[in-house]
Amino acid sequence: MLKVGIKFQVARAMQFSGSARAADENVDYLFKIILIGDSNVGKTCVVQHFRSGVYTETQQNTIGVDFTVRSLEIDGKKVKMQVWDTAGQERFRTITQSYYRSAHAAIIAYDLTRRSTFESVPHWIHEIEKYGAANLIIMLIGNKCDLWENRHVLFEDACTLAEKYGLLAVLETSAKESRNIDEVFVLMARELIARNSLQLYGESALNNLPLDSSPVLVAQGPTEKTHCTC
Amino acid sequence: MADSLPTEFDVIVIGTGLPESILAAACSRSGQRVLHLDSRSYYGGNWASFSFSALLSWLECQQNSDPGEEGSAAWQDLIHETEEAITLCSKDKTIQHTEVFCYASQDVDDNTEETDALQRTPSWVAPTPLTNPLVPACLSEETPSSCVTRHEMPAKDTPENDGEISPEVTDVEETLAKENNRGDKTYTHTVSDGAKDENKLIVEDSTDQPKRNRITYSQIVKEGRRFNIDLVSKLLYSQGLLIDLLIKSNVSRYAEFKNVTRILAFREGKVEQVPCSRADVFNSKALTMVEKRMLMKFLTFCLDYEQHPEEYQAFMQCSFSEYLKTKKLTPNLQHFVLHSIAMTESSCTTIDGLKATKNFLQCLGRFGNTPFLFPLYGQGEVPQCFCRMCAVFGGIYCLCHKIQCLVVDKESGRCQAIIDHFGQRINAKYFIVEDSYLSEDTCSNVQYKQISRAVLITDQSVLKTDSDQQISILIVPPAEPGMCAVRVTELCSSTMTCMKDTYLVHLTCSSSKTAREDLESVVRKLFIPYAETETDREGLTKPRLLWALYFNMRDSSGISRSSYNGLPSNVYVCSGPDCGLGNEHAVRQAQTLFQEIFPSEEFCPPPPNPEDIIFDGDDKQPEAPGTTNRIIAKLESSEDCKNLENHENHLQN
Repeated sequence: MLKVGIKFQVARAMQFSGSARAADENVDYLFKIILIGDSNVGKTCVVQHFRSGVYTETQQNTIGVDFTVRSLEIDGKKVKMQVWDTAGQERFRTITQSYYRSAHAAIIAYDLTRRSTFESVPHWIHEIEKYGAANLIIMLIGNKCDLWENRHVLFEDACTLAEKYGLLAVLETSAKESRNIDEVFVLMARELIARNSLQLYGESALNNLPLDSSPVLVAQGPTEKTHCTC
Repeated sequence: MADSLPTEFDVIVIGTGLPESILAAACSRSGQRVLHLDSRSYYGGNWASFSFSALLSWLECQQNSDPGEEGSAAWQDLIHETEEAITLCSKDKTIQHTEVFCYASQDVDDNTEETDALQRTPSWVAPTPLTNPLVPACLSEETPSSCVTRHEMPAKDTPENDGEISPEVTDVEETLAKENNRGDKTYTHTVSDGAKDENKLIVEDSTDQPKRNRITYSQIVKEGRRFNIDLVSKLLYSQGLLIDLLIKSNVSRYAEFKNVTRILAFREGKVEQVPCSRADVFNSKALTMVEKRMLMKFLTFCLDYEQHPEEYQAFMQCSFSEYLKTKKLTPNLQHFVLHSIAMTESSCTTIDGLKATKNFLQCLGRFGNTPFLFPLYGQGEVPQCFCRMCAVFGGIYCLCHKIQCLVVDKESGRCQAIIDHFGQRINAKYFIVEDSYLSEDTCSNVQYKQISRAVLITDQSVLKTDSDQQISILIVPPAEPGMCAVRVTELCSSTMTCMKDTYLVHLTCSSSKTAREDLESVVRKLFIPYAETETDREGLTKPRLLWALYFNMRDSSGISRSSYNGLPSNVYVCSGPDCGLGNEHAVRQAQTLFQEIFPSEEFCPPPPNPEDIIFDGDDKQPEAPGTTNRIIAKLESSEDCKNLENHENHLQN
């Protein structure tokens, strides 16, 4: 098992937007998460599955849906996750800058049966760095891990890349087989809560930050069968 | 990118400026299949905002006289015998007279590259030459003296103390901000207070300590990502058409806005704040009790001037300034009303002046103490927000996509298709084209106006107050009659348009000469070039100029459709930005064209709420109505204020 540490950059975490704390009385936190990655890696399936637990084989271009929302309960806190989709603008690499602007976190998805979609990941990271907030949390997911026989991206490669760019974690997912989808969002929510509460405690908390933060994350190998010898 | 485009659409929109983007969104929203193209690599056309480096590349592009004829695919074969082609223009000719001046020190201080800060010797003439072809006038060439800057982050591979250093840096930044507010402590000093030993050593070694915080050119380049520099400087009237449209269509959820914090006036060589709300008027120290009463009385009258025709009827033929003289207002107040509240030219008629004043007063208080809003990250966000909405409803986007010609059916006279630079023919029913894409042949009868623009990066506000995070608008009246007033907008770093400790200043007026000739005198009145203040004399009250850009932009807003030659009836033309402060022209144009094309369709109705869509089939109980939109629709209600406050606090603490 390969471990990917949570990298804190405290100077950045300080800038965490105050709007992350929802004013809504029913919700403790509201987070905006953007989903990016090449076309046809299954982004929309992932969101749909997260929302309803259902996988639809033929995914049509969703018309008129900006984002999907699901509320989670984490350690007694009610967390609303607002997951934004690219609206097809990734197809010709024309995602608007404003898409990145107020996001708290980003999930970059690739298709582990198509190497090219993995090779685009640095491009998407670069876009996030260019237009997103400085403290954006980034997570990488290799989708379609049910098709492991056709795998063209090793989990190790993804881990190496995640470490290189200081990403939060890598998970291999399958919307079709309901694998790791909820985990992605729960993990993200926990991390966001951890970072977001930092600023509430002020600077004293910042100093002993590495101790307080949630433990080092274990990026799960999808199945025992895959050759992930981390 | 191997993905190829479909070839059948209902509407093809060429150009991603504000009116085109609104139209694209409106068409897509009403169920049309929309293809939205731009030949540029970025959204917005002349409505775009750029990071510093992107602005430099843009300038390079503009100065490049290369016609850009890279072997386009042959298209003649694709035109049938019954058709003819209208070629489009391949080169944007809307920008002229670009001039760049760099006043900030161009020391090669190696902060531009992340070298190992801790191992450097105090004297750094580092080997990172700053190659920048775009600095014709470098006014100050100094010996390296700025030693410690706030960018001095410890190198990443520092061994032990990853967790320790970062908080330090935060501390330093905070101290800096505070020091800055108080005034005169230098960077060097402050950093040495909080920094690690190594840094301290360096500071002590440096002999030549600057008096005020210094921003060098290389810092601007390095922090270039922090800049979002608008090509066109506009604000949103808080009761204006654009705000109404943003809220109605829910596009407002894609953007955040800040209230302009103050209105300034320039009188007798001094910048002063204009009291505009009731509270302002009463709190103003600049006004006497009598003046306060006079002003309140006049403003109250303006709010419903239509009800009192007897008050102004006799002055219908006069100019507004003449009229104000008759209203028992002191010269002070006349100036405020004419230039800062009505924001009109002196020659404007009484009725237009009253209308403008009323509009200003009505916009007050909706979101804050002034009638204007500014979009975070710059005006360039706004067209993109509409593009996002278009995409959400199925619109397809391509940038860097050149179009060679429109294909017109000879018999019906209607446009059938476009042919792009790949030689692909794409059919549609309606075509919306931004006017800079039209060829010289098409535009041979058109007379354009010009807008003069200046973009300045400065180190202080034109009017310092307790807070260094002010967004200000200032109208500088013409120096001599017949000239134009100059509109100055000063943006602070919390608008996300410039780096910390700098201000981004936009100047705009309608052109009579080149931008520099039109605007330089105003720039001189308000600022001093960086180098001249090194001697530390009286000049210190004025902000210093670090960098300046002048350019002229074509203003095609007044061109009527009939002045274009031979355009088919289903080709609709959108104009570039106008010179005005608001965005009313663009919105009105988009709405008019939309209703011309689709007379029975509603213009940008509210989309279904995503939270309503997703919760069906879910066993979660639905949200109470009214709570759903509060967080995202940032423009609505007091939520907005709260967010802004948070934001401000967090930037100021």
